[in-house]
Amino acid sequence: MATRNRTILFRKYRDALKSVRIPAGGGSLPSPSSSSSGGGPVIELSTTSLLHPNRAYTPLSTEDPGTSSRGAVTVGLPPAWVDVSEEIAANVQRVRAKMAELAKAHAKALMPSFGDGKEDQRRIESLTQEITDLLRKSEKKLQRLSQGGPSEDSNVRKNVQRSLATDLQSLSVELRKKQSTYLKRLQQQKEGPDGVDLEMNLNGSHSRQFEDDFDDLGFNEHQMARLKKSEAFTAEREREIQQVVESVNELAQIMKDLSVLVIDQGTIVDRIDYNIQNVAASVEEGLKQLQKAERTQKQGGMVMCATVLVIMCFIMLVLLILKTILHI
Amino acid sequence: MVLVNAVRDYINRILQDISGMKILILDSATVSIVSVAYSQSELLQKEVFLVEFVDSISMSKEPMSHLKAVYFLRPTSENIQLMRRQLAKPRFGEYHLFFSNMLKDTQLHILADSDEHEIVRQVQEFFADFVALDPFHFTLNIASNQMYMLPAVVDPSSLLHFCERVVDGIAALFLALKRRPIIRYSRTSDISKRIAQEAAKLMYQQESGLFDFRRTEVTPLLLVIDRRDDPVTPLLNQWTYQAMVHELIGIQDNKVDLRNTGKFPKDQQEVVLSSEQDAFFKANMYENFGDIGMNIKRMVDDFQQIAKSNQNIQTVDDMAKFVDNYPQYRKMHGNVSKHVTLVTEMSKIVEERKLMLVSEVEQELACNGGQGAAFEAVTNLLNNDSVSDIDRLRLVMLYALRYEKESPVQLMQLFNKLASRSPKYKPGLVQFLLKQAGVDKRTGDLYGNRDLLNIARNMARGLKGVENVYTQHQPLLFHIMESITKGRLRDVDYPFVGNHFQQGRLQEVVIFIVGGTTYEESRAVALQNTTNSGIRFILGGSAVLNSKRFLKDLEEAQRIARTTTGLV
Repeated sequence: MATRNRTILFRKYRDALKSVRIPAGGGSLPSPSSSSSGGGPVIELSTTSLLHPNRAYTPLSTEDPGTSSRGAVTVGLPPAWVDVSEEIAANVQRVRAKMAELAKAHAKALMPSFGDGKEDQRRIESLTQEITDLLRKSEKKLQRLSQGGPSEDSNVRKNVQRSLATDLQSLSVELRKKQSTYLKRLQQQKEGPDGVDLEMNLNGSHSRQFEDDFDDLGFNEHQMARLKKSEAFTAEREREIQQVVESVNELAQIMKDLSVLVIDQGTIVDRIDYNIQNVAASVEEGLKQLQKAERTQKQGGMVMCATVLVIMCFIMLVLLILKTILHI
Repeated sequence: MVLVNAVRDYINRILQDISGMKILILDSATVSIVSVAYSQSELLQKEVFLVEFVDSISMSKEPMSHLKAVYFLRPTSENIQLMRRQLAKPRFGEYHLFFSNMLKDTQLHILADSDEHEIVRQVQEFFADFVALDPFHFTLNIASNQMYMLPAVVDPSSLLHFCERVVDGIAALFLALKRRPIIRYSRTSDISKRIAQEAAKLMYQQESGLFDFRRTEVTPLLLVIDRRDDPVTPLLNQWTYQAMVHELIGIQDNKVDLRNTGKFPKDQQEVVLSSEQDAFFKANMYENFGDIGMNIKRMVDDFQQIAKSNQNIQTVDDMAKFVDNYPQYRKMHGNVSKHVTLVTEMSKIVEERKLMLVSEVEQELACNGGQGAAFEAVTNLLNNDSVSDIDRLRLVMLYALRYEKESPVQLMQLFNKLASRSPKYKPGLVQFLLKQAGVDKRTGDLYGNRDLLNIARNMARGLKGVENVYTQHQPLLFHIMESITKGRLRDVDYPFVGNHFQQGRLQEVVIFIVGGTTYEESRAVALQNTTNSGIRFILGGSAVLNSKRFLKDLEEAQRIARTTTGLV
């Protein structure tokens, strides 16, 4: 893939042409180019006009002399919404880091361990909660991004919004996938001991039928203990599943809101030429609408009606006065 | 993948070294080049948050100095003038200029002169100067395409402009592929000779430093041929998916505009047909209409299955799965509607214009012999009221191209009948076509009836019968590619430029058709590339033709020729 860099040649020409240009424009600019503020150039302009009395007309612009020496168009302060978008981008990074931690915590919790595993559970819960919070906050900030502001900037803002929305959506999807696999594996694991339990229960009930008449009390107690244990297991599992389901629902809500912003790949909306024409078209459309609105306002039927009514009022008033005068 | 990837690589390189928020500024030619290879979502990933035209009305608005401007333009004088004005009053923080072809020294001077604020950080030439429609098919989208039909004396400056654009496009292609080819051209065509010689001059003399690549493999071949060697292919009606859509509705830069052909819901008014992004299209773009119908039906059935299963959501699990798969579901839904809409629309048009009847006669005219039967068939269709004007014109043209020398009386009869039936199209157009692309003007054997071997082959094919009457035509390009593969491309018909000569076996061939390519030909090239012949073919043209565009070019050329001879 061949390319050719013309920058060096370009700079050479530019410097050459610059040195040709400056002596013609008045070489009295020893000032440091960093003084691009308002006060400096004004003073310099007056000195140039004193030094060149033949020059009848000195343009009074505040940007003239200093600019040719160094790039005086400094990169100005970006508008406020850029800060918001940067915050969201930082949040996205943080979410990514936390997801990596979450993956590790999931793996650790699924490993068979002697302990209760409650700490791992709590850690997973807290991580998931944090991630969901971050995603929700970012999404709210994202909504705020689209409001207000001048029309020129709005396209840039819309595109920034779209790109951040895509990132957020892919992160939500990833989180949900991780959660569902974790949940599935958790169920499998818990079912392991429960399955055995179930089997034993079955056997127990089977043998119970045979020995029912004989050892009622003994089996009942044994059974009660087992029942209580399985109840505890079930309750706990249900609680975990409930939590995961809640976060799944929250994420689903976020995804629904985001999916309006995200571009579908492969469709016409994803084409650059479609978007570029829409920009031009919408600006033109806006102009046309404004003109039409202006015209209708001027032609306003309302305005005419109002004027007619006012005139009629005046006429009636005059008639009334005349009537009273004539009567007197 | 070759061409599209080349353009994508260029764009990636443009964007990757510039950090921060960017605005990409294109002109009307480069927007096509970029849009077929790069998507909006990919641009957003590279932090390009706005795309504008260099000449748009909003360019004079307030400054956005937190953005870095990346310009990707063609190096035309208009663009340089626009750049001058914009550099004098800069709106953005930094300016990075990329041109899609070689800048002249004067242009570089003008730019350097206008950069008073020294905001331009780099000026580079990235040679993505062609529209890569398909992996092996590119076009240059030249608007004044009709100029190739006219001799130089008629309008020398427009012709010069045309030739320059073509040579620039070809040069950019070879720079993107990093090759320097040997060049052959079509003997009877002055314009292909001119383009071949100018390309050779550019690559071997003027910019030989730029084109000096390591000779690792055999040098590729550039074959420049003229559309008028095969005027039959653009006139025929097509029955394979991509070619058919272009013929009946029209594809521009892989986009189909359905707004003029009926009422459609908002998201189906303009659709994208790209083999890169649409797997169904990639599998079906070269299939014929009957097979497509079946495949679409299968796709719709699959989709209905999924839609039904999405409707009984009972547990939380199901809900979660639905939300997970929703983006996929939505994309599939969009895709299915798109193809169903297209096929329905095309079926409607086929029905209205009785294209099955018309196309059968067209294929007979293009492929088989029998002047008498042909004359009868054409006369019947001319008398048929439901055949549209443009189809009548095409039939007469095809007849005239084939039986130009046989039975001129009957030809005159057809002309008169055409004139009486369709006053819009003057028979003069048919005669103009014959003057341009008649049997004396063509190189190569369009109908396979000049060479004894070809006549024998045709007879054998006629006896064997053909699989599908509607797709029996093979464009002349197919035979040219066959000859190249066998190493039997005649020097008499396609001479070399200057003192070039072919050494060793060929591995890469670029065929450029001056006047435009058709999707039928790009299909032939793609199918040829799937056979393991050891040669990779790439096809390009100054435009992508369908019968409407070809006829329009003919009419324009005729009008210009008439007005200038009128003046003289």
